[in-house]
Amino acid sequence: MPAEALGARPSSVSRRGRLLTGLLLAAGLAWASLGLAPGDALPGETGRGILRLFCEGALSPALTYEDGSAPADAPLLLVRVGGALWKTLIFAAAGMSLALVIGLLFGFLGARSWWTDDERECEVRARARAPVRRVMTLVHVSVRVLIALMRSVHELLWAVLLLAALGLTSFSAVIAIAIPYGGTLAKVFSEMLDECPRDSVRSLRAIGAGGVGVFAWGLLPRAAGDMSAYAFYRFECAVRSSAILGFFGYPTIGYYLRLSAENVHYREVWTYLYALLALVGLLELWSSKLRRRVVMR
Amino acid sequence: MTDRLQSLYRSRPRSRLVRGSVAVGGLFTVWVWTSGAVEVGDFMTGRRRENLLRFVTEESVPFPLRQEGFDLARAWSWARGVLWDHGLEAAGATLAIATLAIVLAGILSWWLAPLAAANVATARPFELVVGGERLVWRALRVVVRAGMIVMRSIPEYVLAFLLLAVLGPNHAWPAVGALALHNGAILGRLGAETIENLEPGPLRTLRGVGASRRAVLAGGVFPLALGNYLLYFFYRFETCVREATVLGMLGVVSLGFYIQEARAKLYYDEMLLLIGLGALIVLAADFLSSRARRYLRSGV
Repeated sequence: MPAEALGARPSSVSRRGRLLTGLLLAAGLAWASLGLAPGDALPGETGRGILRLFCEGALSPALTYEDGSAPADAPLLLVRVGGALWKTLIFAAAGMSLALVIGLLFGFLGARSWWTDDERECEVRARARAPVRRVMTLVHVSVRVLIALMRSVHELLWAVLLLAALGLTSFSAVIAIAIPYGGTLAKVFSEMLDECPRDSVRSLRAIGAGGVGVFAWGLLPRAAGDMSAYAFYRFECAVRSSAILGFFGYPTIGYYLRLSAENVHYREVWTYLYALLALVGLLELWSSKLRRRVVMR
Repeated sequence: MTDRLQSLYRSRPRSRLVRGSVAVGGLFTVWVWTSGAVEVGDFMTGRRRENLLRFVTEESVPFPLRQEGFDLARAWSWARGVLWDHGLEAAGATLAIATLAIVLAGILSWWLAPLAAANVATARPFELVVGGERLVWRALRVVVRAGMIVMRSIPEYVLAFLLLAVLGPNHAWPAVGALALHNGAILGRLGAETIENLEPGPLRTLRGVGASRRAVLAGGVFPLALGNYLLYFFYRFETCVREATVLGMLGVVSLGFYIQEARAKLYYDEMLLLIGLGALIVLAADFLSSRARRYLRSGV
């Protein structure tokens, strides 16, 4: 170990120390500013009753409707659960497929490696004419700003916005998922492209490949494994988001979960929760199997 | 040459799982978009189109500008009114909820991570001896891991919704609690992985000279794992701010509360302003946490 690295050790510890102290102070400040009473963190009299009901529900999820929770012509509970899961999956898949298109497009345009090539940068820059360069920079920067804006608004807020603009249609739910997820995918994709090893790029360069060829055959295949693994992980998240969109009236699982919870039918709530957990768990299993295949080590 | 190329082509790595998944995903996507399960283009016609036009050209314009035309000073005084009245306070509350929640999540995962790590929660921690695994330890690990899986699989929003019923409204605990539990479980898993991937040498040495489990944790595991763990921590902080904004829609006084209120009153101009403010604090948190990560990286 070089001497300067050894010398750097103590300071790194104090950096962490400073950061941790700052965090604790910030948390204390936050606590004070929210005016939270520690006692309120524990359930009161009524809260304990609800908690008991809720925990009992966990042990015996409903297989048929609890008393008076559905009109006579409602479908069987399990049919409804299945239908809600199906809708959840549909919204997630539609949103995610749109997000993938956005993510790939903006991910490429937002990646530094699409516009410049570290090692040949001077050459490319010298070859491109000044106005062209300026346009390139403009596109790159504006795409990055757009990505940040798409990402920084939560999918539920997009949903609220689109509900106001379009009304309650399944397309607005799909877009509400597609915009922030597209932004996130674009950000991560561009980082993956920029950070993947450059050895194959160099070889392709050496045998005379041009800019697009280098990107398509040198960078993209290198990053594709990580990119698809990440996309699948985001699909899991999309399923959760799609489930929550139900709280705003879309016919996904959140809609029924909210109804049952508001009627204090916690056994039904658990049926929906278990169904969602099973779906997410299944997808997680699938994605971990896939990841082992596609991620290059 | 062609023979060799062909045989190389034939023996390329293939996976039925990957191909099957791509096929299933592709077919499902095509079906979703073509079967009418998603009402594409619905908003281009009739009432929905009118709705959209009205929203863009009228409702989303700050209301003092609607009749009297565009004027920057008037727009600013309107925006300042909203921000000073409740916007900035709610933004502060959102940040406070996120900060408190992530620190509580950190403390929670501090306990969960070692309990879920296979090299800590075992009868012979950090020892070379293989076997002698006791059922109690394995059961403990399984229980902790299962609990974490459930906690992170339930969306924060649902968790907060359920906590709201248990803890009652009028304070921020349901939001803080939901975020802390969810992120505590995620950080717990990431922390457990970090601990399991630690270089075993130093830990075994500590154990070898007679350190107890706790001593090894305090003197070896935590200091070694802290660097990587903090990177995850700040990454989750960013997500926390995003979520804290939204949890307000359940009735906790963060930005989401006023967004929901503006929506209910059909004050779409104010709603847009507050959503923009939310985006701003998410970007600020993003910037802060990436700075903190760089600060750590450059120092370690």
